[in-house]
Amino acid sequence: MPGKSHPRCDPGGCMQDPRIRLASAALISVAAFISIWGALAVLLWWLLFTPRMRRVKNIRVVTGMLVLIGVIAVLIWISGGDGLSYFLRFGVIVLVGTWLYTEQKPGDFLAVSVWAGKNRWGFELGMIGECAMQIAELLLCDYARIRIAMKLKGEDWGVRTLVPLCLILIHDALMRADEIAELLAVRGYRNGGVCCPVFCTGTLDQVSGICAICVFFFSIVPVSEFFILSM
Amino acid sequence: MKIVLDHLQVQQGEWSLLVNGTFEEGIHLVSGVVGSGKSTLALAMAGIFTPSQGTVKREGIKTLMLSTQFPEFHITRLSIAEECASWGLDYKDVIRSARLKVDGNVSPLSLSRGELKRFHLACILAREYDLLLVDEPFSSLDCIEKELLCRELSTHDSGITIIFTHEQSIFPHVDHLWEIDAGELCALGRLPGALTRWQRAPALIKKLTDLGRCPVNLTPDAIREAACRIHE
Repeated sequence: MPGKSHPRCDPGGCMQDPRIRLASAALISVAAFISIWGALAVLLWWLLFTPRMRRVKNIRVVTGMLVLIGVIAVLIWISGGDGLSYFLRFGVIVLVGTWLYTEQKPGDFLAVSVWAGKNRWGFELGMIGECAMQIAELLLCDYARIRIAMKLKGEDWGVRTLVPLCLILIHDALMRADEIAELLAVRGYRNGGVCCPVFCTGTLDQVSGICAICVFFFSIVPVSEFFILSM
Repeated sequence: MKIVLDHLQVQQGEWSLLVNGTFEEGIHLVSGVVGSGKSTLALAMAGIFTPSQGTVKREGIKTLMLSTQFPEFHITRLSIAEECASWGLDYKDVIRSARLKVDGNVSPLSLSRGELKRFHLACILAREYDLLLVDEPFSSLDCIEKELLCRELSTHDSGITIIFTHEQSIFPHVDHLWEIDAGELCALGRLPGALTRWQRAPALIKKLTDLGRCPVNLTPDAIREAACRIHE
């Protein structure tokens, strides 16, 4: 029986339409990766059209990732490479990813995939995306629990504990995926499904989407093309 | 040594928990229905969860341990031997104590839920703590294991042991009884007097106290003794 979704509107969110949000994120991520000017344009886009760090759930994780990128950038700079470019481009990609993850709501992937790929392959891909998002959320919970367990045992945080911790997290994620697969099979799932997503597209979605396209073209066109250079 | 909960308040939407009380040395049983806030209270007492209001003062407590309801939350190593080492214990002793028939190289996460619970409790109970907080220790255990655990917990005669549970049938020896009722922690006092004030007491305890045959404690032996007195 077809399930009709409610319009995917969030009063607190900036971009309501997950199709535009995902497409914008894909475009600006490529733009940031291509060039340093693209990364700067994406940073400007991020400052204008996202709530920035206000809605980030785990700011320590984001800070940790930016610090890690900073360390790698310094190493690149020491070895004679362009560390600043690396830091700007990947730092901006992390910010875009954080924004996308924060704005993501359960059902967004499924809705966009079904819209793009219909009820067979679209549904399958959307469901895989939803499961991945759920597991990513639970990984953060597992990580927090392990930190508490280590604190209770009086264990120090270090390289020796990092490997088993990561392996436990992977083990838990695989176990959970296995259980979800079994549950779906028990409930009679084979492939595909029926879903009728309804989207809510606001003016801000359209403006930020168009700007994301502009940022993308700005990154692929050489900067000199924007200026009339006369000899 | 003691732990003082001073106007502790936890607020989550419509749900709230208010706690006032002092836990001194001995075995305390905190009873309450599922969702009443036992685990939240245990986390607050361990200093892991920060309540909306109020303070938790631990006086003279140098060592603290919290056993959460889910044993897998405590696993930080990939084999039983390594996990025991992370507790500062020898795995052979723990395996014997937990009555497990496994090798030290086995992953603790490959054990069944009940086995993992026994393993975790064996690690916890192998050492003495000034404050031991045990959240739902009887979950995932069968009746025989529950009785064995009760015997083990009853031997804890030093420090403060606080057991948070909604268990209704098998209990260890308890010195003080507490109950979370209508969003508030109530101190019911020392046993056996506290049993008559227990609002959501197990049916058997309620029946015995109504008949004026209040058991001296909550241990299976004490309840059996009280039940036998009915026919005297």
